[in-house]
Amino acid sequence: MHSLNYKKRFDPLLIILPLLIFFIGLVFLYSASSGIKTIKGIDYTLRQLIWLTIGLAVVLIVVNIDFRRLVDLSYIFYALVTIALFIVLMTGGSRMGAKRWLDIGGFTFQPSEFAKLALILGLSFYLGNNRYSIRGFRTFFGAAFITLFLFILIFKEPDLGSALALFPILFAVLAAAAVPFKYIFGSVFLGLAASPLFWNIMKDYQKRRLLVFLNPNMDPLGAGYTVIQSKIAIGSGGLLGKGWMGGTQSQLNFLPERHTDFIFSVVGEEWGFLGCLLVILLYTLLLLRILAVAEKTNDVYGKLIVAGVAGMLAFQMIVNIAMTAGFMPVVGLPLPFISYGGSSLIMSMAAIALVINVDMRKTVF
Amino acid sequence: MKITFLKRTVLLFVCMLIACLFYLQIVQGEYYLKMSQKNRIRVIPLRAPRGNIYDRHMELLAGNRLAFDCAVIPQEFDDSIEVLNKVALMLDMPGGSLKSKIEENALAPFAPTTLKRDLDKELAISISERSLDFPGLLIQTYPVRYYPHGSSSSHITGYIGLINEEELSILKRYGYMIKDYVGRTGLELFYDDYLKGESGGMQVEVDSRGRELEVMGIREPSKGMDITTTLDIRLQEYIDSLLGSHKGAAIVMLSQSGDILAMSSKPDYDPNAFLSPAKFGEVKKLLTGRDCPLINRAISASYPPGSVFKIVTATAALELGRITEDELLDCGGYYVVGNRRFHCWKKSGHGLQTIREGIKNSCNVFFWQTGLKAGVDAISDFGARYGLGRKSSVDLPYETEGVLPGRGWKRRTKGESWYPGDTMNLSIGQGYLLLTPMQVTCMYNALATEGKVFTPHIARSIGGVDVFPQQTDMLKISARTFRAIKDGTKRAVQDAGGTSSKADAEGLDIAGKTGTAETGTDRTHAWFAGYSPADDPLVTVTVFLEYGGKGGGLPCEIASKIFIKLEELGYL
Repeated sequence: MHSLNYKKRFDPLLIILPLLIFFIGLVFLYSASSGIKTIKGIDYTLRQLIWLTIGLAVVLIVVNIDFRRLVDLSYIFYALVTIALFIVLMTGGSRMGAKRWLDIGGFTFQPSEFAKLALILGLSFYLGNNRYSIRGFRTFFGAAFITLFLFILIFKEPDLGSALALFPILFAVLAAAAVPFKYIFGSVFLGLAASPLFWNIMKDYQKRRLLVFLNPNMDPLGAGYTVIQSKIAIGSGGLLGKGWMGGTQSQLNFLPERHTDFIFSVVGEEWGFLGCLLVILLYTLLLLRILAVAEKTNDVYGKLIVAGVAGMLAFQMIVNIAMTAGFMPVVGLPLPFISYGGSSLIMSMAAIALVINVDMRKTVF
Repeated sequence: MKITFLKRTVLLFVCMLIACLFYLQIVQGEYYLKMSQKNRIRVIPLRAPRGNIYDRHMELLAGNRLAFDCAVIPQEFDDSIEVLNKVALMLDMPGGSLKSKIEENALAPFAPTTLKRDLDKELAISISERSLDFPGLLIQTYPVRYYPHGSSSSHITGYIGLINEEELSILKRYGYMIKDYVGRTGLELFYDDYLKGESGGMQVEVDSRGRELEVMGIREPSKGMDITTTLDIRLQEYIDSLLGSHKGAAIVMLSQSGDILAMSSKPDYDPNAFLSPAKFGEVKKLLTGRDCPLINRAISASYPPGSVFKIVTATAALELGRITEDELLDCGGYYVVGNRRFHCWKKSGHGLQTIREGIKNSCNVFFWQTGLKAGVDAISDFGARYGLGRKSSVDLPYETEGVLPGRGWKRRTKGESWYPGDTMNLSIGQGYLLLTPMQVTCMYNALATEGKVFTPHIARSIGGVDVFPQQTDMLKISARTFRAIKDGTKRAVQDAGGTSSKADAEGLDIAGKTGTAETGTDRTHAWFAGYSPADDPLVTVTVFLEYGGKGGGLPCEIASKIFIKLEELGYL
């Protein structure tokens, strides 16, 4: 075990804020899952706590490994994730008509979550190595390729949400690396222009999700049902909400998935606009602190890693809340630290661990 | 600095998010609050009508009628004792039972909970008229399956039942919902995904009295696809009446296409019984009946074929040159193997016969000799070519393959080697051999058409798209062999003394073969398989009677009447 002296102090908010958000989330998780008939509320809450302890263990491990070493090993992670994704494509357990999970000894495990981390490390490695040719098109292209490769694997599962989440990571890392904007915006433009092509590749239920987003009333019994009910839940919370465990929509089983992807609807219904504001502000503060680390550090790789983490967490948070409130199509993206689910929680904690890692080692060389 | 750019982007999106939430919760808060209150929303599934099934002349075999259920929306319904009693009185149900019914049948919040199913139209209308007095009480209309021809089409159409939990967990992703119906047997099962259509639903905003204010969202159901079959229901019903109370099966197939004109299996059942809650007692009887009325004996049961199998023995021997078509073999009434005598069915023997007479007389001694000359491997091989031991792939579920024995088969399943005695049994269609009436039909069809193999089928168009019959194979058996055997079958029917002579009918050119299969009890299974016209066949007919006595008796008589009817209906 290395314990080199340049370990300095790190910004404590980087760990306080996620834990704060987690425990607030736990409160809502209890409320959300107590209405589920088959499993008592305590079960989900307890499990989430177990995941947290595992997550904290992961954090401890990760912060003790110099992040630069992790960056050096990034291609191994990338390869492992690719293999895992291939396995999921071949065999994956299917729930809700999508292959996202692998079953390992009774635990379900989502490789697409870990793909995000692998991408962050991989992009940092690649762009860091090419920092002297950062203005070149080839560098941009390489980064895009690394991303697209994972994107296609995840997209084919099909898991649109996780696949799309790769792009804000790419965007944030490219921006932090000072890749010329014209490349970035050029490709966004291309992406939009190519979207009719995407339409054809999309599966039926994904197309339907997009259409339902444009008009949720179109599918009142399926995807549209969840969104309509979620909007009602959040909207009816008004300014102050209905109080903990007082959410009629959530308590009376109107909302499937309320303990996972749609948990923000419980926040909206029970704590109202002020509650939502609180949660969003906590997240925003966390994001700003993360980006502050990127500003402070001199290490190129560290900067890119932190930017990638910020992009990932920001995207998930914003998209999840927007989706719950009916402003965006339904994509399967959990709310970091709050939604129930081991993979998401551990991955988010690992991401935070990376940021802390960078913050601890921002020496001047 | 690029990081500043990122910070600003994040803040921008966060502000947009907060603004949207503000709009949703503050500006529209009142509206959504009303929405979330209990008596505001109903979620009503709109069931899709199942596709219809027709016979070849567009006679309805399976269709939908409108049924009326009485249901309540629990959140709107006043469940005080007096109201419950009044409602129970209207519905003619015991007063105390309603409350528990509401709890049992609860589906989802704001979804209707069924109280009583399939009401009389009059009662349904009168309840509807009084609905303002009973907020939350409503009449639901939806399509219910019915089978106008009841038992005669039962094995073809099959029946449907409610989806169960296990099936739902697998089928949910294909659009099946709870309380959907799925086919359980017959065409209803085989083509379920075409027939079932797509359910829709609507979310409606209602006032405190339950009157619909606004349809918040609707997805129209889409009807399932209709299926037109190759069946002729007039022929089918006629054959059913001929079979009467006998157990067995009869199949009529168009020789040049594989179209199934009729497929009867007795005993049969009324598929409507599965859909009417009043008839559940009958259903229980059907499910536990000892004579297995739910089994389609034409395809799901296999039996020893007896002499109808002899054409395979003949084919094997002729094709391999072990006998020639004019070669004479003697039948003295018995055949000696080792120190045992095996008797022919005619004690006095048939004398010298060629293959044609052997078939005409269905002489066992002839075929024992022929079979031993051909050998088990050849007989097995040609049996397989005729499609035996395999499913015919007709478009119905639960088809069985029967058993086509052979050397390897016996070693694998019984761990013993094959004896000459087994060959003798096999040659005359006994022993381990088991065939379905469908396989027998296909076999005789291949013979009749001199080698054309068709996949038998019942659906001829689905959702307006025609399903074209295709000849799937041409048997590599010489025309000479076929003609020799066909000649034998022609003589069996049309010559004096032929075993199938009762199958003959005036003015028609019929050929065929009988079978009387030993079963190990003192009763035999009775078969007839034949076709007409003999040289250029249009129809192939098989009649099988479980424990029906002699093949030359009832099956032939029934077949004869079937051929006459076929001529009457214009198929001959």
